[in-house]
Amino acid sequence: MTEQELAFTQDELDEIERIKAKFPTNKAATLRVLWVAQEKYGHVKPEVQNLVADTLDLPRSHVHGVASFYTQYYKEETGTYVLDVCTCLSCQVCGGYDILHHLEDELGIKAGETTEDGMFTIQEVECLGACGYAPMLQVTNGVYANNLTKEKVDKLIENLRKGKKPEFESMVMRQNEKRKKELSQ
Amino acid sequence: MPEVFIDNERYEFEGDYMALQFILDLGKEVPFFCYHPSMSIPANCRQCMVKAGQYIKDEETGEYELDENGERKIRWFPKMQTSCALKLSDGMVIQTQETSEEAERAQKDTLEFLLINHPLDCPICDQAGECPLQIQTYKYGPEGSRFEVKKVHKPKRVQLGPRVTLDAERCINCTRCVRFAEEISETNQLTIVSRGDKNYPMTAPSETFDDPYSLNTVDICPVGALTSTDFRFKARVWEMNQTPSIDITNGKGCNIDLWTRDNEVLRITPRHNPEVNDYWMPDEGREAFEQFNKNRVSRPSITLDENNQSNTSWNNAVETFAEILEAHDPDQLAVFGTPHASVEENYAFNKFFNLLGASNARFTPHIIPGYGDDFLITDDQAPNTNGCRLINLEETDDTGIQSAVTSAKVVIILSDDLVGRGVLSADDLADRYTISLATNQSDTTEASDLVIPITCVAEHAASYVNIDGRIQRSFPAKETKYTNRRLNLEMSEGRLDRYGTNFDNWVNEEHKIDCLPVWEFLNHLGERIGLEFQYDHSRAIFDEMSDRIDPLKGISYERMDEELGVQLPIEQQEVTQA
Ligand code: SF4
Ligand code: FES
Ligand code: FES
Repeated sequence: MTEQELAFTQDELDEIERIKAKFPTNKAATLRVLWVAQEKYGHVKPEVQNLVADTLDLPRSHVHGVASFYTQYYKEETGTYVLDVCTCLSCQVCGGYDILHHLEDELGIKAGETTEDGMFTIQEVECLGACGYAPMLQVTNGVYANNLTKEKVDKLIENLRKGKKPEFESMVMRQNEKRKKELSQ
Repeated sequence: MPEVFIDNERYEFEGDYMALQFILDLGKEVPFFCYHPSMSIPANCRQCMVKAGQYIKDEETGEYELDENGERKIRWFPKMQTSCALKLSDGMVIQTQETSEEAERAQKDTLEFLLINHPLDCPICDQAGECPLQIQTYKYGPEGSRFEVKKVHKPKRVQLGPRVTLDAERCINCTRCVRFAEEISETNQLTIVSRGDKNYPMTAPSETFDDPYSLNTVDICPVGALTSTDFRFKARVWEMNQTPSIDITNGKGCNIDLWTRDNEVLRITPRHNPEVNDYWMPDEGREAFEQFNKNRVSRPSITLDENNQSNTSWNNAVETFAEILEAHDPDQLAVFGTPHASVEENYAFNKFFNLLGASNARFTPHIIPGYGDDFLITDDQAPNTNGCRLINLEETDDTGIQSAVTSAKVVIILSDDLVGRGVLSADDLADRYTISLATNQSDTTEASDLVIPITCVAEHAASYVNIDGRIQRSFPAKETKYTNRRLNLEMSEGRLDRYGTNFDNWVNEEHKIDCLPVWEFLNHLGERIGLEFQYDHSRAIFDEMSDRIDPLKGISYERMDEELGVQLPIEQQEVTQA
């Protein structure tokens, strides 16, 4: 894809204008506009980052820094499903690496790689704020799969292969379970 | 006046101060990395921690509250404070590592963190010896590390741009380089990529760090992460001499240091002067180190037949020069001074020919319109245009030079590549006897019949008047065949100079150029033709100038040294093409 071919449509540009209006500076709109770009292209490879920088009239280096900071922005083309496996502290302690390595073995790829059929990408990511339900993973910047076990992971893969995404789970911390029960009674 | 108490001493202060800068100004120390006095304060390295609090004042009486022992009560801030970002306020109490074990511990622990993934490759690192991380670790760091796991690896030998090489593993992410590109050079070419223990500075993938000021990031990088591609692995800093000097590649006259080893200039770094260049200099000025070592004119040379130049003795050079002068009337000479040489050289040179009866030397400024920026790069390509004006050389444009050549039999050029910069062509000089007094080989020396090698800014003490009318001076940094740093007290002596001998394999006689200061050569020439002309040192020339030239009254080398150059009371002439 050459840079010339990349452009936002008028609709997208209008949306970007609306986003810009919400912030005191263009710089502050970087995250949201990168998001617009990722929704459009499915990734924010360097040329897409440049498009964002040029649209917002920001240094290209700045947008590159922001895009590379967040694992949620895909700097390469990814598979249909991106499995972001958390290996940060809480998940690590609860077996996050076991989950990651199990996934790697199952799919025959390493973290950072995509399966040949273009179905799955595995990423190793830092804390996603779900420490209470560790270990966990996130599917393509969407739903979380919590309290993972190897079996739960196998099931998840099987379902995703069939195009079935996991449902949103409302989670309660163990120490709150009792209270929840009491409340519901 | 508001007061602060630092390490149990009372100090008064006025105005806005950050604790760290205040402490440094007192001549005391708190270790730091990310802070830089000329840039914004992100407080991200966390090294400068101190314990801080406030004496409690009774709101009503305005009196300090006392405890049972009669001591003032202190309300300590709940956490350690980064002193770089801690604004002094009245009644503030600060304890640095000198008096607070907690502060000492905090600094030590921060260093342990910073070093977790640092490769500790000081033995092969260019920064060793002048590395804040190395120094602070010795002074304040832990003796060992408790982290025994594998270090995180990051890219090494990354060519960030044409002049800067990055070793990302050494980076402590202080963001000084990023802030420099944002706030000082304003090219915005750098950013920090990735995060956590994986981050390091980078350009956008489609860009390269070709900032015309890029090498300043190498100076301010507090570790060996950013290195100068030119200087990488060339020398250990403790083996070099550091000599103050002036950038001669443009009209700004940035204050610099010349770093030499065995009489070769190996690198050039900026020297702080708030009036001229602050802490910075353009990359171009640093590349000049090569012209001090390479392509020099060493030993006089003379044209035998058409195009053949051959080295000759100094005696023969003086004799030939003298014979030419004796064979011609003063009005058959075209004498050219130059904005590329110092005031002293131009003055002595001009005076010599005045004494012979010639009128004032001509010079033409060396300007490339549009070349400069609003910062430290100027249109003026020469360091001393205003100096030539100061001593009343005759300023002329290129045509003035050409017509002077046309009506002359003998052309004498002081250190100016008039052919190379397109003022004259080699053909213009072909039918005239041309004498060049020059530092470097050039198209002009090639077209000359007699070439006299003279000292360059790295070899003599001399002054230059910059574009804003500030006079500043150089020191000899590099020995010539005829100088000796052990005898010349103006020269600095490094470890190798002091302990080396001529028989050591790192000593190379070739690094000493066979040249003389122009005034010394003219002494010999004057003696031969019976002219009363004698200057033993550039200082003698300067003293004479300061007696005779109004704007230089009361100015001396000492004043220039103490005041980092002196602003002359001359009209600030725009340096433009005449
Ligand atoms: S490369 Fe040097 S200056 Fe830049 S962030 Fe790293 S340590 Fe700081
Ligand atoms: S550590 Fe995994 S979600 Fe917080
Ligand atoms: S110098 Fe204060 S935090 Fe870096």
